[in-house]
Amino acid sequence: MKTTPINRRTMLRGMGATTIGLPFLEEMVSAAQPDEGDIPVRAFNVFFGLGIPKPLQSEGFDGVLEPLKPLREKLLIMREVDQVRCDESGINAHFDGASGAFTATAPNGEAKSGGASLEQVIRRGAHPGGMPSGMVPTLVGGTYFRRSRISRYVHSYNPDGTVAATMQERPRDLFERVFGTISVDDRDPDARKARLRRSLLDSVIDEYQYYTGKNSPLGSASKTRITEHLERIREYEQRAYSFERGKGGPERPPRSQVLHGGSADPGGQGIDITLEELTTEWRLMADLYALAIETDRVRFGSLTFLAAGERIRLTGNYHYDGRKIFTFDDARQQNATGDKGCSHEWWHKFNENRKNEALRAHAHMKMREVAYFLQRLGETKEANNRSILENSLFTLSTESGDGRHNNVKRELSGVFHAITSANGRFKTGEILDVGAEGLDVYNTMIQAMGAPGRLGPGNREGQIVDQIRA
Amino acid sequence: MRARPAILFLWALAGIIAGMGSSPVQAGRTIRGLQALYDFSSPSESLVRDRSGLDPAIDLKLRDPGKVERSKGSLQIRKPTILESTQPASRLIEAVRRSGEITVEVWLKPADTRQKGPARIISLSRNSTNRNITLGQEGDRFDLRFRTMRTSSNGLPSLATGQRTLTPGLTHFVYTRDQSGRSRIFLNGQMTIEKTMPGSPSNWDPGYHLLLGDEASGGRPWLGSYHLLAVYSRDLSPTEVVAHFKAGASAGKSLPPARDPRELYFEDKVAPILANHCVQCHDPATRKGKLDLSRRATAFTPLKNGVAVIPGKTGESLLWESVLHDEMPADNPPLDETQKAILRKWIEDGAIWSLSRIDPANYVHSSGGTDQQWIQRLTVDEYIATVQATVDVDISVEAREILPPDMRADGFTNTAYNLSVDLKHVTSYARLAEIIVSRMKPGEFAARFSRDRRFTDRSMEALIRPLGRWILRGPLQQREVVSYRGVSTAVAATGGTLEEAIGYIIQAMLQSPRFIYRIENQRGDGSPWPVDDYELASRLSYIIWGASPDEELMRAAREGNLSEPETLRRQADRMLGDSRAIQRSIHFLEQWLNLNRLSSMQPDPGRFPRWSPQLARDMHQETILFFKEVVWSEKRPLADLFNAQVTFMTPRLADHYRGMSSSRERMRETYATRHDLTENPTRGGLLTHGSVLTMGGEDASMVTRGLFVMHNLLRGVVKDPPPEADTTPVPVRPGLSHRGAAEHRIADKSCGGCHSKFEPLAFALERYDGLGTFHEKDHHGNLLREDGKFLVPGSSQPVSYESTAELMDLLAANSRVSESLAWKICQFSLGRPLGFREAPIIQQIHDRAMNEGGTWADLMKALVTSDLVLMTRTEPQ
Repeated sequence: MKTTPINRRTMLRGMGATTIGLPFLEEMVSAAQPDEGDIPVRAFNVFFGLGIPKPLQSEGFDGVLEPLKPLREKLLIMREVDQVRCDESGINAHFDGASGAFTATAPNGEAKSGGASLEQVIRRGAHPGGMPSGMVPTLVGGTYFRRSRISRYVHSYNPDGTVAATMQERPRDLFERVFGTISVDDRDPDARKARLRRSLLDSVIDEYQYYTGKNSPLGSASKTRITEHLERIREYEQRAYSFERGKGGPERPPRSQVLHGGSADPGGQGIDITLEELTTEWRLMADLYALAIETDRVRFGSLTFLAAGERIRLTGNYHYDGRKIFTFDDARQQNATGDKGCSHEWWHKFNENRKNEALRAHAHMKMREVAYFLQRLGETKEANNRSILENSLFTLSTESGDGRHNNVKRELSGVFHAITSANGRFKTGEILDVGAEGLDVYNTMIQAMGAPGRLGPGNREGQIVDQIRA
Repeated sequence: MRARPAILFLWALAGIIAGMGSSPVQAGRTIRGLQALYDFSSPSESLVRDRSGLDPAIDLKLRDPGKVERSKGSLQIRKPTILESTQPASRLIEAVRRSGEITVEVWLKPADTRQKGPARIISLSRNSTNRNITLGQEGDRFDLRFRTMRTSSNGLPSLATGQRTLTPGLTHFVYTRDQSGRSRIFLNGQMTIEKTMPGSPSNWDPGYHLLLGDEASGGRPWLGSYHLLAVYSRDLSPTEVVAHFKAGASAGKSLPPARDPRELYFEDKVAPILANHCVQCHDPATRKGKLDLSRRATAFTPLKNGVAVIPGKTGESLLWESVLHDEMPADNPPLDETQKAILRKWIEDGAIWSLSRIDPANYVHSSGGTDQQWIQRLTVDEYIATVQATVDVDISVEAREILPPDMRADGFTNTAYNLSVDLKHVTSYARLAEIIVSRMKPGEFAARFSRDRRFTDRSMEALIRPLGRWILRGPLQQREVVSYRGVSTAVAATGGTLEEAIGYIIQAMLQSPRFIYRIENQRGDGSPWPVDDYELASRLSYIIWGASPDEELMRAAREGNLSEPETLRRQADRMLGDSRAIQRSIHFLEQWLNLNRLSSMQPDPGRFPRWSPQLARDMHQETILFFKEVVWSEKRPLADLFNAQVTFMTPRLADHYRGMSSSRERMRETYATRHDLTENPTRGGLLTHGSVLTMGGEDASMVTRGLFVMHNLLRGVVKDPPPEADTTPVPVRPGLSHRGAAEHRIADKSCGGCHSKFEPLAFALERYDGLGTFHEKDHHGNLLREDGKFLVPGSSQPVSYESTAELMDLLAANSRVSESLAWKICQFSLGRPLGFREAPIIQQIHDRAMNEGGTWADLMKALVTSDLVLMTRTEPQ
């Protein structure tokens, strides 16, 4: 496990010496550097599961938020953000709160949010005609195990509430989504065959274009789906025929060592995992995601650090800043097996009059990993001498402000949020008790980012949360 | 031959006819595809009303009432005049333009056989030279002009009947035209002429009025009487035409009056608010404040402090007062201003209540499931089955390896809105298309469609059209032919062979949206439209088989008679006899019960040392074999799944259920054998399977099990735990069993309201531990019981049971359970969650299936002949 922050070069070596060719990356990173005054709009949602109970947020950087302390000048911590409108009757906040994170709307079906996520509104505002060629429109990645509902772990949504992109849950998947090439190009030894494939692709594109055009027989939702498909085909075409590949090109990162797919969620009963396994996977994902941003392949998307309502039985010694924080051993400490032995239970048992040591350690550890990801992006300076972290909008949030499921208002009030400055648009270096609805906070952010869209009901009169703006 | 009772166009008549149990029309007449209907039944009105029930109505105005004679059921034009629609017949015109089909039906009596011009009987036109369609009289012949891209703007050449075919008597005239241009005229049920006149009506002018008796510009008067006039946006089949003729000229009069818009307002706007914000506390079981808002009678009953709803009097209605002042919903966010305005308007307008009961389960998806229409991408299973059926290549191994898996949403992996696409899909489809074609002999395959072996345009078109119709599940448009022709041209230009060209064309087709998605027309006027025969063939095959239509279905679609009730039923019968229907039903079962979850289970080995992946497979196998036995081998009603006294166990599973370790020899035995459970009171029915019992987790959670039964078998809805409730599970201990803990929750004032609705459903399962082993005592020595009582959603009286077996019998006999299963199967079949708008149709599907015997086949047949399948929702242009 790599527990100390590492820079990009170190990471590349750490991933297996030859996993990503350095010449390729040098070229890509430098090519990705925008000109001064032309800093691209970027927005990302960073989600961590299970939340931080409101009383612990009030401890500032002395408690579970300690790992964010080195970044405090680059973050605006927002407390008292109210997400109660996201409540869906009959279900706890792991689902509706998670769906409401970054959307501020209640879910609309098991796998749909009630509307767009804020970074998607910003994306559409910044790129109304679609993303520049070769760029991944939205990158959704993360490490999670609980998968009963998609909203638990996906945090980018289209305006119609459907997921904005497929979740990349393995480091290799995420890597291939960003850097993968397709083994078809015009320099195929059999150039004739390549030409024929191109002709075939033209025919396929014609068909998709027809179904997105004015004579399409499809309704609006279906048309949107076919439009997405067409965009993916164009991306395929662009990669298949335009990418430089071969010399110095990237190769796949190592295979993931943690559980994925159905086996990662044994009927909601949770899995056993060591701290080392978990953080190794997290850091690989964080490195790859950061790399995707640094190389300007990705400007919008989301990264998930455990699902909402995640169920893991974690073991291992947790150290931070040279001191031992806690020994994780969820099942033994709770004297239970299955779901009742998972760390999730610490949230059910939260009591502000007690120490809540285990919960604190889990939350602290997650903040350490989120901070690792953010710090990675603090390393690369752009033309305005600010880092990518400072120039971009990173929004950190979670599903609830209380995990006991016995008070909707309390559960969805005081949901932790933090944002970066987005190139000087927002205040940083403060902890604010915002005291506003998440919807108003998000819409203020969207407005400050210069995007025309808004979240939430059209007939609602919004409140600008001016105190967060620089 | 007499047609069976009409397929009911249930929701088209201005929305949903809630609770409708019988046909709104006289047997023999169909209203599927009906766009306008005039029965001339109200002589006192100034207008001749369009009785189709569609919005906007195309009512006709008499220009000079003095020149006509009206009686109940007919209108006679005695002197030249005209009846003209009050506004352009745009809805009708757009429907025909889109479908490319039409039927004009009229019962009429000409004044004589000398009128010429042609004299305008019915017309959609601007003047004597510009029209969409006109039926006229030319002496003793009928003359029909239908404008297409290939005719003049006057609709010429026309289609005319022979000499002396028009007589002065009461005549039943029907003109039908299908997409291919096949045009037929029937007189008194007999086909008189048939001719193919190709051409699309895409150039129809939406601004024309519907006219009777003359041209818009005058000068073409017709004298005579009208008894019934109907226009459809599809071509009625000969069987339907005969049925209409036999139904007679007065058959249209039994149509119900158009529904009171206030009823629709209640169903569409008010009921969802009451269901989602009020009924959870004010249902028959909970009746907070002694108020039940789920039924009209109870909602309007005087309470101690007033009446909840007093029609027309908001100020005196407790319901209004409490929501106005945000006193209700209690402990929940107040209604927003829009919702309040809806309730106020409803009460002010008379508080019309048109539902027998507000069922909250119908409104779970009130905003999500039913409003948007998502195209369906083939799931991985459907893709594999479609490739197999279309080109006879087994691509299962590669497809499962390469294609991203489909994720569950709302309980199923085929939920359309969640079938999104990623770059991986695109690369996979391209790669799979290559593999598929590499395993074919394209030339041999193509010989099924054309034996012409040349690269010429004509030869290639002769191949591409039928090849595309087969692979893409419907006729090709010219632009598609051109596009695929481009692929073959590219091959020819590089010196390739025809075989190679066909291979590339097939590859292109396999990546077409028409192959990967189930493309249907979704554009229209916002009302439901009938699907065309090819769309119907696909719906039928994917619903029953999960695969593409076979040749017989495609033939029926091509011949245009698939939508005839008899044909449809015959095809469904045939398809249900195919092994693919069994496989499809098993896919449903696996997803409904989430059986694939079993392979991921990792129970604590300390507590469950006997657990092994093999045992998970045995449980999975037990449920599948049991289902096949009950549903397919014995063809029993679906309700028997809950209490059939039979199962299939490996020795290892049988030992596990008894809490015994298996010998090595028994461990090796992987074959499940049939066990008669008649004498075994501890097992019988799905809920006693390990595959279902494990749903409650290692601790056999009563909450989880109870909620499973309530949600999946009884369509119950519960709300959040109340504020400050301690939701930490209470651990069992000596003296406190799971039931004991549950009874504490039920007795608790703040928890019991909901927990009493679902936890007792799990009482009967208390003797099965988290992995399904039967015990009479738990590991603390607490005695376990099996008796209990449960509430059926919507009722106030709990039903008691003494044993697990008795609960299973009660569930099997309960109509709410069979209805719930029907909802689940319909959702899976349609690939989308269903909501209150579909509730009456699902109820009818359920009732029809139950009347026929309640088997899987009965339910499938009721479904595929229902408007859920025969109609498609459309979006306005």
